[in-house]
Amino acid sequence: MRHIQLPKFISGLDYVILMVCLLLTGIGIASIYSAGIDSEGVRFSNEYSKQILWAVSGLAIMIAALILDISRLKDYTLFAYLVILLILIYTRFAGRVVNGARSWLGIGEYGIQPSEFAKILTILFLARYLDSSEQSSSFKRLVMSSIIIGIPVLLILSQPDFGSALVFFPILIVMLHVAGIDKRYILFILFSIVCTFLFLMLPLAGKYFFSTGNILDLFFQRPGYAIMLSGLFLIALVLSLWGWLVFKKRYYFWLSYTFSILDLSIAIAYAGHKVLKEYQIMRLMVFLNPNVDPQGAGWNILQSVTAIGSGGLIGKGFLQGTQSHARFIPQQSTDFIFSIIAEEWGFIGGLFLVGLFCFLLYRMLVVLSSTKDKYSMLVCGGIFGMFTFHFMINVGMAIGIMPITGIPLYFISYGGSSLWAAFMAIGFLLGISSRRYRM
Amino acid sequence: MGVSKDNKARITVLKLFIIGLSLLYASRLFSLQILRGAEFEARANRYAIQSVKIPAARGEIYDRTNTIPLVTNDEAFSVELVPAELPALKREQVFEGLAEILGIKVTEIHRKIPASYYHLYQRITLSSSATYQAIIKIAEQKEDFPGVYWNSRPIRRYLDNSSLSHIIGYVGEIGRDEYKLLYNKGYSADDIIGKTGIEKYYDSILKGQDGYLRTTVDVKGKNLAGEAERLEAPVPGQKLILTIDTQIQKTAEKALGNRMGSVIVLKPDTGEILAMVSYPWYNPSIFLSTNAGEEYLKLLNDPNKPLLNRAIQSSYPPASTFKTVLTTAILEEKAISPKATITCNGAMEYGSRTWNCWVHSPGHGPVNLQEALANSCDIYYWTVGRDNLGVEKIISYAGDYGYGKITGIDIPGENAGFIPTPRWKEESYRERWNPGDTMNLSIGQGYLLATPIQVANMMAMVVNDGVVYKPHFLKEIRDGDTGALIQSARPEILTDSSISTATFKTLRDDLRSVITHGSASVPVSTKAVMVAGKTGTAEIGLKDRWHSWFAAFGPYGAKPEDQIVVVTMVEASNPWEWWAPYASNLIFQSIFAGQDAETAAKAINVDLEGQHLRGRAE
Repeated sequence: MRHIQLPKFISGLDYVILMVCLLLTGIGIASIYSAGIDSEGVRFSNEYSKQILWAVSGLAIMIAALILDISRLKDYTLFAYLVILLILIYTRFAGRVVNGARSWLGIGEYGIQPSEFAKILTILFLARYLDSSEQSSSFKRLVMSSIIIGIPVLLILSQPDFGSALVFFPILIVMLHVAGIDKRYILFILFSIVCTFLFLMLPLAGKYFFSTGNILDLFFQRPGYAIMLSGLFLIALVLSLWGWLVFKKRYYFWLSYTFSILDLSIAIAYAGHKVLKEYQIMRLMVFLNPNVDPQGAGWNILQSVTAIGSGGLIGKGFLQGTQSHARFIPQQSTDFIFSIIAEEWGFIGGLFLVGLFCFLLYRMLVVLSSTKDKYSMLVCGGIFGMFTFHFMINVGMAIGIMPITGIPLYFISYGGSSLWAAFMAIGFLLGISSRRYRM
Repeated sequence: MGVSKDNKARITVLKLFIIGLSLLYASRLFSLQILRGAEFEARANRYAIQSVKIPAARGEIYDRTNTIPLVTNDEAFSVELVPAELPALKREQVFEGLAEILGIKVTEIHRKIPASYYHLYQRITLSSSATYQAIIKIAEQKEDFPGVYWNSRPIRRYLDNSSLSHIIGYVGEIGRDEYKLLYNKGYSADDIIGKTGIEKYYDSILKGQDGYLRTTVDVKGKNLAGEAERLEAPVPGQKLILTIDTQIQKTAEKALGNRMGSVIVLKPDTGEILAMVSYPWYNPSIFLSTNAGEEYLKLLNDPNKPLLNRAIQSSYPPASTFKTVLTTAILEEKAISPKATITCNGAMEYGSRTWNCWVHSPGHGPVNLQEALANSCDIYYWTVGRDNLGVEKIISYAGDYGYGKITGIDIPGENAGFIPTPRWKEESYRERWNPGDTMNLSIGQGYLLATPIQVANMMAMVVNDGVVYKPHFLKEIRDGDTGALIQSARPEILTDSSISTATFKTLRDDLRSVITHGSASVPVSTKAVMVAGKTGTAEIGLKDRWHSWFAAFGPYGAKPEDQIVVVTMVEASNPWEWWAPYASNLIFQSIFAGQDAETAAKAINVDLEGQHLRGRAE
């Protein structure tokens, strides 16, 4: 077994990353314990003890991931990718429904969310593809990568688990960036995502965010106008594509580029409006002004921000939070775990956690820049993208500057699947790091 | 592997991103916790706005004159519990006390508040129809009921507990699946929602907008003295004026009596439904009682299916009423000269069987089109349907008349009926469509199925020279408070056929001859109005029992706006008494002579209790 080797690189292990992760897990368990106590001090949930169980088993998973030399196993990644797709399909039809999404597989009280592991296996396979396709054109690599990402995204969207599906996009962007794809294409994806969100929000923004009778609302009250405008954009795209193919002029390329972004985002936003319910879109945009819907979608944000703000400099002390403890904030132990930490430990605690996370993310980049091969580098990139996005959205949501998408904070939030996935990813990363000098 | 310059630049971008992100989040935390910390702390200590819903009164429902209320609201209370405010030691005691006062079972309370809810600060509704007396009892011993709250919550009062139940429907607590579907439409998990009929179809209009009382409470959930309460007053639901004429409805109800079946009275020039009765009916008020679940099960399991609105949800072979469609086709297609006669000997041979006309030997003798319709001669329609029209034409005309399609009436659950086609038969029976099937179809038997409302629309089309208006119950929407008119329902064209007016003119004359010297001359005896129409007797395989139809309009020859359409359908499950034409006769007499059902019955010498007939009539 050439690719299973433990003792040699115990010395080469990145203990800093390991320690940071263990520290985060410990903070997580303490916070989950606190979240499980009501305002009278009575414990109503034993999630924390389950989390300990997940953490211990997660460590075993991490060690297993660490031992595997993934750069020697890259030929199996396609197989792993296909297997996880099959599992996702199975979950879609026979899985268990939790919080409105058919996203779980499990027995009895315990279950896993295959989408968490789909992220990691997709990273491995995409890294394999990008590694082997360096000779291909940027455009072809972009299209192929989008397909590789797109299949699990669509499957997860159909569960429907919007948040988990979203994580694949930062993974794609960072990996394409690391793979050295032409910047134009990376910007294309970024702009498309931004425009899609914009078009997704515009009709509702017109309805709720501005005074009545505003132009935006009037525009969307006449569906004909929106269709007409989309039609014009489509014609513009066809014309500029034609111009580009016939005249090969540079500005035709940029025109095609712009209108492709617009048309693509309109199409996706339109599909989004068909698939997503109004309240789901509201959740995405309500952070811009939670007061438009203080009893509904804005409630969580207002409560979370109040909890965090009232923590002050040094916080109210462990188990002493008044706003948290399931009193006002739902999903306290998963989506809004950060607010209980910042309430009870104050600015000092909040800053410490943000600092710790950013340090971990920065450290991942250090590992990334010292990898021995392109494949390992790409895997690091994917893992970095995944962790960064989870951190950015989850904490951003708690402090009221990111949309509510309900994705967990790795190592901190309650949940077996996300904790396992986090340990597995860190295991791969540590393995890459300790093998960096060996060919 | 050496890191190339390009790679280094790319990694630097990512590093800068992380540094930027950490600075952004740190400064946001600084702003929230240090700069605005005091503000949030003050808000956290004080701030917890609790909002209590004040349910809106549902819109009332009136008859077409806007004078007779059909549904109003009664004062009642909902009793709610906040589990987290209830100390664990007192829990059982409070549950038992509440169960006794509210007249529900303790297990029911445990079902609504399982142990996993004990830490919740949400109000959970225990009863939404508590009486004033119950509330007084709880209020008197408020200290013994910590965490228990109550609220005014108007409940439905159905003033008519008979045949209107199928039209108006009833309300109930919103179901989990309904809530999922309506999540975005201003519904909340403890709403009362229309379950069937008008209550369901116009729920969004009737519902109104709930109000809120927002009080500022401290972190323990106690009301803070001196803090202003903010009241958002509820907006009551809008009032609906139905097209129902309560007089005619009562008459129709009595005319049908205790016979399973249905009656429809329709204004053909607008599609307004003046009366619709389906027997048996149910009492909608039972759904408001505490044991609504049991009552509902009882209704569901009743073999007579009282929940079924037979006028729109049951489909039957339309039998000879369908000869109206055949006659239209024959006239319009000039399939055979209306003067040409076919001789009926009471029976004909076709395929390997004998087809008997309903009048057995010696039969109707030689009959032309008008005589065939008047006397409902099967031999004539079998022959012409099979030899001169053919199945495709019959199907096409049936489709023109609206068979096989829902009418879009404004209450839910309508049945579309069914028009059989050769292709359908081949696909489902693996058998070819044979001329015998065409013969069956020609007299409205076989696989053909129609709802009474479709048959009523057929007559409306005859009256209107080819136009059918969508049948509806809604006349006006009025403001719930002031009663001011908000919207009047406008007639909506459902079908505008291209069949010639000459055809409809002849058809009306022929249908009139059914009463003057045809099959219905005996039962339709009223002198108050000139009736035209068609009888129908559907065979469904029972010996000596048939579905009895009568589809009619009148006054014959008057302008469409002065006419009404009456369709009566009495199921074969009743003892045979050929009741449909008699019931229609009574309804026409009552409406046009201005008599109530009993007086009208006397005037035309009909016994409402029924009669006994032997043998089939058309």
